[in-house]
Amino acid sequence: MNAPARAALAANLPFYQPVADECTVFETAWRQQLPVLIKGPTGCGKTRFVAHMAAKLGLPLFTVSCHDDLSAADLVGRHLIAGGDTRWCDGPLTRAVREGGICYLDEVVEARKDTTVVLHPLTDDRRILPIERTGEELQAPPGFMLVVSYNPGYQHVLKTLKPSTRQRFVALSFDFPLPEVERAVVQHEGGVDERLAAQLVTLAGQIRRLTGYDLDEAVSTRLLVYCAKLIASGMAVRLACRTALVEPLSDEADTLAALMAVVDTQFGA
Amino acid sequence: MEDLVGGWWDKLIRRTAYRGYPQAAVALAQIEKQAPLFFRAMGGDPALTLRTAVGTTHGARRRLLERIAGTGEQVELAWRDGQSLYLPEKIDLFPDAARNRELYFWLMALAAQPQHGDGDDGNGDWLTRNRRASAACLAAMPGLAALYQRLVTALLPLRDTPRDAAAAAQEAAICQALQQPEAAIALPPCRTPPQPVLLWLHPTPPTAPTAGTDDKQTPEMEDSDSKETKKKRRYRARRDTADERKNGMLLVFRAESIFTWDEYVRVNRHTDDDDIEDAGAAAEDMNTLTISRDNRRRASRLKFDLDLPAAAYDDTPLGSGILLPEWDYKRQRLVAEHCCLKPMLPRDATPAPLPDQLQPLARRLRRQFQALSPERTRKSGEASGPDIDLDRLIRFLAEKRSGVAVAEPPLYQAWPPGGRSMACLLLADLSLSTESWLGEAGQVIGVIRDSLLLFAEALSACGDAFGLYGFSSIRRDEVRYLLLKDFAERYDDTTRGRILALRPGYYTRMGAAIRQSTRILLEQPAQRRLLLIVSDGKPNDLDHYEGRYGVEDTRQAVLEAKRAGLIPFCVTVDKEAGEYLPHLFGRRGYSVVHDARRLPQVLTSLYASLTA
Repeated sequence: MNAPARAALAANLPFYQPVADECTVFETAWRQQLPVLIKGPTGCGKTRFVAHMAAKLGLPLFTVSCHDDLSAADLVGRHLIAGGDTRWCDGPLTRAVREGGICYLDEVVEARKDTTVVLHPLTDDRRILPIERTGEELQAPPGFMLVVSYNPGYQHVLKTLKPSTRQRFVALSFDFPLPEVERAVVQHEGGVDERLAAQLVTLAGQIRRLTGYDLDEAVSTRLLVYCAKLIASGMAVRLACRTALVEPLSDEADTLAALMAVVDTQFGA
Repeated sequence: MEDLVGGWWDKLIRRTAYRGYPQAAVALAQIEKQAPLFFRAMGGDPALTLRTAVGTTHGARRRLLERIAGTGEQVELAWRDGQSLYLPEKIDLFPDAARNRELYFWLMALAAQPQHGDGDDGNGDWLTRNRRASAACLAAMPGLAALYQRLVTALLPLRDTPRDAAAAAQEAAICQALQQPEAAIALPPCRTPPQPVLLWLHPTPPTAPTAGTDDKQTPEMEDSDSKETKKKRRYRARRDTADERKNGMLLVFRAESIFTWDEYVRVNRHTDDDDIEDAGAAAEDMNTLTISRDNRRRASRLKFDLDLPAAAYDDTPLGSGILLPEWDYKRQRLVAEHCCLKPMLPRDATPAPLPDQLQPLARRLRRQFQALSPERTRKSGEASGPDIDLDRLIRFLAEKRSGVAVAEPPLYQAWPPGGRSMACLLLADLSLSTESWLGEAGQVIGVIRDSLLLFAEALSACGDAFGLYGFSSIRRDEVRYLLLKDFAERYDDTTRGRILALRPGYYTRMGAAIRQSTRILLEQPAQRRLLLIVSDGKPNDLDHYEGRYGVEDTRQAVLEAKRAGLIPFCVTVDKEAGEYLPHLFGRRGYSVVHDARRLPQVLTSLYASLTA
């Protein structure tokens, strides 16, 4: 890659504030052709991190949001009818393997069990993708990398990653960033000043203390950024907090009222 | 006549002298539901419970009117100790109800601050403590600072300026500290105690109940059947030794000492002289309860005898018993036929409808769970069925034309009967520890009973197969396994009656109960089988089944269940469960319900989220 191209790339790099050495781990794993598993709560920056790393390494990124009807055929590809003839159409996983890019399966536990059939041969040292329907067997190029993520916070006895699948990945654990880091993220992404960002982060810290007691899941960095964006575009601060931080967390009137009282300790008039 | 006029006068002068604004009063009950959440968000210890404070005599100089009326001696202040957060029962300090409400939130934020300097060396520290805590709150929370400014602005005109010079200096220092909590201000010495500051925490909080040497008696009233109209109040407690003299009735009467309600008179009386209804009323009028130990229990309930009860009172045994193995961790092997499990039916169970107070919640749960119930949905990709699956057919034909040999896939659509195929066995711990009390929520066993009833209501609405069992144990030869509803039975008034007849007793040999539940659950034809255990503490029994032995045996039983393809999950109200449950059920295999009163709701919503 020549210098101007690299500079252009850096300018388009999606913003990501490293928390620890996750960038190094990811890059090393990629160089060693190892698959990566990312776990962490909703909205802590997993998807952004993958986008950032893909751009940094100059790799095409194929993101698949998994759902409970996602089958192996959706990942690998299928035949389509075109003008009285049939044509094979690659799925996102096959395209990633062919092009040597990153295939990112978001919330992988949601996907149907048969997807593991295609994932397993790709995640060990064989690195192959057999395509049953075309009789092909693709050998993944060095650039290819499989990244999956899931949220271990949901206590769901029927939806967990099987240990045999989990064992095949290098794993990174994500959590909400430290206040100083999160402040920088909110300030940069939300476009608000330092003071307001600090207040929002303090407020988030207060609300996060309630996780497991009054709330199932606490306010995410993403919601903080949403709230900051609403404020930056001129919305009243309390209204922005209500719509972006309080209402998304609960439906119970008492919890909402108490959360607004917490908001007022930062932004009350 | 004199009485009547006196009464009027008393009423009039009391009303005139009263300094609050009753029309703007805000009661703690109004914010009770929001308070714990707010307190935790402010950084307060999540384990603390919320209680109402009792009035404290402040000793400061009162207004003339108040002295005439004999009121204003006491003030309700907020404080916290190792157990609870105490807030005034109602606040009517300000003429504006919004301010009174804000004062509650301010007090909670203040009480949630970590306490600086735990030593109680008098008033100087009281001022510094509160000043520092206030300053910390204000610095961290600008919104709260605005609220505080409003409160201080409203409070200052309400405070009196004493005529005495020293008292005036003291008052001035307090006012200054209220206005500028960040400035270092010391409290000037003065003979009279300062006027109480309702924006600050209690200067000398009553001692925590754990501070005493006697762990059996707490300053709270222990009589279990007195109807408490007020919330559990904290009384300023004083411990004293009981008078051992046998006949201490004679007392030299001295005219100048008139006893008040709460002065302790060391007279040895028989406790059964007292009328139990009066005791509650008397305690409410007192602000100090003097506690002394004697060897009689007043109003204590007859506790269970831990030996076997007479056969006539025992639950009805069903057959001679099932022999089950037990894990001996020292020998690292399963000891065969080590426990005898006896299936039983609760005694004295009469068919009963769902209790009225559970009806509204049950209705809501049924509606919620009906949504979970499997509708008859069209299922594609069936080998046979009434409709052709067009999507799959096109794909298949396309593949066939491409020349690759593909086996013929299932190409039909069908409407199979709802296929959730879920079986759940709920196993409830009925050991004696469930007899313990949870404040006004009643006993743990009551909460478990309600939970079982509501859980059954919800599950019968969604149509999943379920069974309800309870267990307790007395050594290895009698693991009592109570059948409440088996999988084949309908959930009706008979089963409801059995649940309502549950009584706590004995110990917790959890391993055997889990093994038996595993056996029962394995007989169910469902695809997914959930073993839900509701417990309130560690496994233990009278013999060596305690500590590590019990935990290891239970762990083995859970592992066996997992190996058999079941999904074990534990719901507990034991706050210390984090110490041992991860070992038993795995990090994600349990859930701690911090407020036991919410167990019924939590249990059903947990089931929904676990299986949805």
